[in-house]
Amino acid sequence: MKGTNQIITFLAVALLLLSTGCQRGKDAAASDVLTIALVMKTLNNPFFIDMETGAREAAGKLGVQLLIQAPDREADVEKQMQVIENLIQRKVSAICIAPSGSKEIVPAIVKANRAGIPVLIIDTRVDSIALAEAGGRVASFIGSDNFQGGRIAGEFIVEQLAGRGKVAILEGIPGHETGDARLSGFHQVVDQVPGIEIVASQTANWERGQGYNVFQNILQSHPEVQALFACNDLMALGAIEALSAAGRSGDLLVVGFDAIQDARTAIAAGTMAGSVAQHPAEMGKFAVEFAHALLRGETIPENFPVPVELITRQNVAASPTAANN
Amino acid sequence: MRLKAFTWEYGRQFGTLAGLVGLTLVLWALTPHFMTVSNLMNVAQQTSINAIIAVGMTLVIITAGIDLSVGSIVAFSGVVLASALQADIPLPLALAIGLAVGAFSGWMNGLLITYGRLPPFISTLGMMSVARGSALLYTGGRPISGFSAEFRYLATGEILNIPLPVIIMVIVYLLGHIVLTRTKLGRYVYAIGGNEQAAVLSGVNVKFHKAAVYALSGLLSGLAAIILTARLNSAQPIAGIMYELDAIAATVIGGTSLMGGSGRIIGTLIGALIMGVLRNGLNLLGISSFIQQTVIGSVIILAVLMDMALKKQRT
Repeated sequence: MKGTNQIITFLAVALLLLSTGCQRGKDAAASDVLTIALVMKTLNNPFFIDMETGAREAAGKLGVQLLIQAPDREADVEKQMQVIENLIQRKVSAICIAPSGSKEIVPAIVKANRAGIPVLIIDTRVDSIALAEAGGRVASFIGSDNFQGGRIAGEFIVEQLAGRGKVAILEGIPGHETGDARLSGFHQVVDQVPGIEIVASQTANWERGQGYNVFQNILQSHPEVQALFACNDLMALGAIEALSAAGRSGDLLVVGFDAIQDARTAIAAGTMAGSVAQHPAEMGKFAVEFAHALLRGETIPENFPVPVELITRQNVAASPTAANN
Repeated sequence: MRLKAFTWEYGRQFGTLAGLVGLTLVLWALTPHFMTVSNLMNVAQQTSINAIIAVGMTLVIITAGIDLSVGSIVAFSGVVLASALQADIPLPLALAIGLAVGAFSGWMNGLLITYGRLPPFISTLGMMSVARGSALLYTGGRPISGFSAEFRYLATGEILNIPLPVIIMVIVYLLGHIVLTRTKLGRYVYAIGGNEQAAVLSGVNVKFHKAAVYALSGLLSGLAAIILTARLNSAQPIAGIMYELDAIAATVIGGTSLMGGSGRIIGTLIGALIMGVLRNGLNLLGISSFIQQTVIGSVIILAVLMDMALKKQRT
């Protein structure tokens, strides 16, 4: 009987062998090539898939080996830290990280520093105070100017409402640097316009389903709301579905952030007014190029803002990243 | 008959252990980075949080119960602990508060299951939401970050080059093993899971001991929260999502039956290590995280299939 169950166990191991064995050649052949690791927040969000595409193109051109890893869930910083620890054990040449938490990622950065592996940060800024306290070092930050993006969204809404109207906001997960920057950029513009009143500002935790529910509740308590700024497109799209369920499709000025494919479709269809586009593919590309340059002893910019732009019905067809997804 | 019972009890452990050893050998052959002291310590440390929670889960599952609230309790006790630390409460007291929040939440589960007669699935599903909501409410959704080096030593410290979380994990497993094999509570846990009615009739205070098991599960979630908070230097109200599934997986891979009445602590440790080694190995090999999820899922299914095959032979 003992025999049977050991056979079953070894069958399980054999299955693993099969699934991993095909990767072996790659691993062994690459020992003399630079290995750059890209650790994302998740691989199931179109934004990060675009980032991956950009990074892969750059790695292919430069002839470096690129390892792309991410935790199963976007908010799981601890798993992201595990991935980074494992990549340190693998002795990669450089690590590019899109942090799942601005402060929580700091211990992992310090570990990479100690192992002599340079760290580049993409998309979400690391908390500079926490980093300094822990004595960590980051070689470069490559990311969208989220604050500027929030401002652009604010200016667009003010202009469309002609300086007078009631506005609702869907926030991201509190404490996320990206969401906070977008929000404060938006507030900086809107708060100075006396005719604009913010009637509700609540979080929908970056999620489409929650965007639907939270906005449905906002519509119940403030049916007179005229515009919505959502800190990402998923929440904006959820809100648009809530509007359509309420029979008010296209009735509100909805502005999102990220300009993902679904949002572009909604903008073209007129159910969404605009979305601030980031260029994740560019971020991935610059991250790999900068890591490569750094490893060759060149100096790279400490801070590299990737420009943002507002996508509206006028320019949605012409916008360059639309073909990516 | 005795021999058959013996092979049933231990054969399953050998099977799981053989799986772990086989996996280790495969990874050793595939990558030079796996079998190094620093990587093995790395794996042990990464396994510790799940492994500690899984001890409580094992006790609960042996009583034929389930605890879906452990991940949320990790978050809730983590944020309460964090606020205590930031309020400059002495370290031992702050740790005790964190553990107490965990134990209390678990005990509430136990009371709802025993005196409230709720099925464990429902009671702990409710607590999963209550504890998560409490954590979010308590912090306003924001993480609490930045603690003393003294506290963070619990995750960053080493004794004889062994990371402290690993030492804590080993102690928890030793205690768990002793409780399950050498104490009255341990015997009652098996008795309740084997046949609750019979346990009641033979004079076991089932309600008390069942509630104690859930309290213990909560307490260990509180302990995991301490290590997690020290590791990230931050307590997040959204921490620990899906930890319950990892803990259940480790328990099940380790040979504990969801039907209750059977299971061993050491099996759970091996189960947790298999999951940790898999994640680590697949990272080292640079394999996509999508494949990682598929492989871990397949291992769970295979482990349970193995259990069922064994059970068939037993009867």
